[in-house]
Amino acid sequence: MMLAMGRRLKAIECFLRRWVSSRPDPELTALRYNVKRGSYAVPNDTHVAFFEKLLGPGGVITDSQECDAYNVDWLKIVKGSSRLVLRPRSTEEVSAVLRYCDERRLALCPQSGNTSLVGGSVPVFDEIVLSMRLMDRIIHTDELAGVVVCEAGCVLQRLDEHLSGRDLMMPIDLGAKGSCLIGGNVSTNAGGLRLLRYGNLHGNVLGLEAVMANGNVIDCLNTLKKDNTGYHLKHLFIGSEGTLGVVTKLAIQCPNLPKAINVAFLGLRDFKKVLETYRLAKGELSEILSSCEMMDRVSMDIAEQALGLKNPLASENDFYMLIETSGSQLSHDEEKVKAFLEKVMELGIVDDGTVTSDPSKIQKIWEVRERLAEAMSKEHYLFKYDISLPLSEFYSIVAVLKDHLKDCDVRYITGFGHLGDGNLHVQVLTSDYDAKVNARLEPFIFEYTSKMRGSISAEHGIGFKKAKFLRYSKDESAIELMRNMKRAMDPNGILNPYKVFT
Amino acid sequence: MKGLRTSIIQEKKRTEFVIMEDYKFLFKVVLVGNAGVGKTCLVRRFTQGLFPPGQGATIGVDFMIKTVEVENEIVKLQIWDTAGQERFRSITQSYYRSAHALILVYDISCQPTFDCLPDWLREIEEYASNKVLRILVGNKIDREDREIPTHVGEDFAQRHGMYFLETSAKEAENVERLFMEIAAELMEQARCKELPRYEQNTTSLNGKTTSIGDAGICGCSRLS
Ligand SMILES: Nc1nc2c(ncn2[C@@H]2O[C@H](COP(=O)(O)OP(=O)(O)O)[C@@H](O)[C@H]2O)c(=O)[nH]1
Ligand SMILES: [Mg+2]
Repeated sequence: MMLAMGRRLKAIECFLRRWVSSRPDPELTALRYNVKRGSYAVPNDTHVAFFEKLLGPGGVITDSQECDAYNVDWLKIVKGSSRLVLRPRSTEEVSAVLRYCDERRLALCPQSGNTSLVGGSVPVFDEIVLSMRLMDRIIHTDELAGVVVCEAGCVLQRLDEHLSGRDLMMPIDLGAKGSCLIGGNVSTNAGGLRLLRYGNLHGNVLGLEAVMANGNVIDCLNTLKKDNTGYHLKHLFIGSEGTLGVVTKLAIQCPNLPKAINVAFLGLRDFKKVLETYRLAKGELSEILSSCEMMDRVSMDIAEQALGLKNPLASENDFYMLIETSGSQLSHDEEKVKAFLEKVMELGIVDDGTVTSDPSKIQKIWEVRERLAEAMSKEHYLFKYDISLPLSEFYSIVAVLKDHLKDCDVRYITGFGHLGDGNLHVQVLTSDYDAKVNARLEPFIFEYTSKMRGSISAEHGIGFKKAKFLRYSKDESAIELMRNMKRAMDPNGILNPYKVFT
Repeated sequence: MKGLRTSIIQEKKRTEFVIMEDYKFLFKVVLVGNAGVGKTCLVRRFTQGLFPPGQGATIGVDFMIKTVEVENEIVKLQIWDTAGQERFRSITQSYYRSAHALILVYDISCQPTFDCLPDWLREIEEYASNKVLRILVGNKIDREDREIPTHVGEDFAQRHGMYFLETSAKEAENVERLFMEIAAELMEQARCKELPRYEQNTTSLNGKTTSIGDAGICGCSRLS
């Protein structure tokens, strides 16, 4: 059983080498989206000399080829033209950089693992990239309380490995765990595969340290589970996508590593059955249910074709579900899972499936789900939407889009996602960026989502790509307050400009 | 069966979602036996009508539903294909208990798979209901290098009160028949005396040792 616990560790070795889409770099964002540069200073040699002195060897990158790795996003849908990347090693250095930039009105793009799916982590113009990668110390682990304190640049997977040796785990898990950094996760309030069980980062971040635009360090690095003193300022930095400050340290609540994990992978005939299975899973597996994911047939086909992954089932199905349980007693959990499976089969909901507690098989099953974004962007341009919808309307958007795009040159339309969290990822795959498809999709899909009272960005954030559409999910009154907060905390607007707001 | 039906109907009352399918009987069939004897191939042959080229060893448990018709009745077979490896055995234990039929498979061209049968039987005795329908299957009869003569398998089955059948998943020999006769036999049992209700009350299996022993004698001739 010890083996089962480490399943995630092995699972993602492949993500450690950052995969790169085989498609060429995209056109410059500023050109493709016709963006107007803000009135910021242009970084020059004097600035570079200052930063070189401040950050020392390895702290400054100006080589244009090296810079480009920081200019292009993971999906290759946006590209900036920064010629200056800074790599601070401490909070003090971050503070000094920000103070210097604020005084000179130099714009900055804070960057973690650069795994944003909405163009939030790369510059739009020549913003200085502030890479948090070198701030990767794990400062303290409290095994009894289940708290880890670390710097923002720790790779999520490394934290999870560190914790698993202490019978703990990170409360967050996502496909990009091998390259994403915890500071980026927190700054975007990333969701992922464990949200169903452990909740989102607003609950799991106990405290944090952040640097404001003017260089002031805000110390909210509380490690207590309960602390109702004063304003809960940490929340300002969770999910604000680096526009209000740069997160430098974190204290995170870590649940115990489950002793038993079971994964069932199911094949289903229609979406109604998917919903019914979820309903039954909640009822039958309540306290041990830790994930409930779904994907459609096309998603599976693409995973098989693009990455050579294997369908865990021998049959082809219109829908697949991945249901994971995490508990403290394998035999008890197996009993519950088996009873659940018998029930869904007796009711004619599920026709085919496989269930296992074997770590290597669990890993293989998860890999199919976790690498879908990679599979889809490998050979295609990906119009990717991450929306929350009421469950009853969850999948109908795919049919709506198929109809809406029927005269466009679209390769595939796919849907998969965190069913248990009401969060669907909708993808429209084209051979290359296609302005006609773009115009047809946006704002259509946001209008549709808004009409259904859904959210236009469930977990990926607003970034650059969705900034224009914020109003579809936020009332004008809320956006106005956001603007006021931005002005108060970053009056010169140097932090991650062109993102979140337009 | 009655128990199952009621529970489905209750389920239906509780929710608008539930899809009540039109079937009279649902039987749980579990396949066990050493790794590599052809359990997965037998299931694939029966459910999909094919002989899979080089699929990996089963890990965990695969399950599927196959709907068949027996004497004009819709019968659903819920088939559980288990992993034969020692290290996964604990997984399958809970699956024995609710089985209506257990198919114990060996490979007629591989003596060790036959030699392991007593081990499997012990496990079956320990975990399965004593009313479970037990079928011994010698698979891979298409192979030239037979090591276990038919009568040796037959004898073993008879001694242990099991039905017996030889099959080839590869050549589709006796595979359909295997599952169809199981369905027919279970339906017969269900009709005459109502199947034991495993889930609701295990204590109701009051040490009565009728069905298997009795069925075994006639069963052997019937299936083989
Ligand atoms: N010749 C022959 N080979 C078979 C037959 N059934 C299965 N096999 C082969 O035996 C191996 C193991 O089959 P598999 O179904 O995975 O066995 P399991 O571990 O019991 O599920 C595979 O290489 C199959 O191709 C059969 O009827 N005849
Ligand atoms: Mg097998």
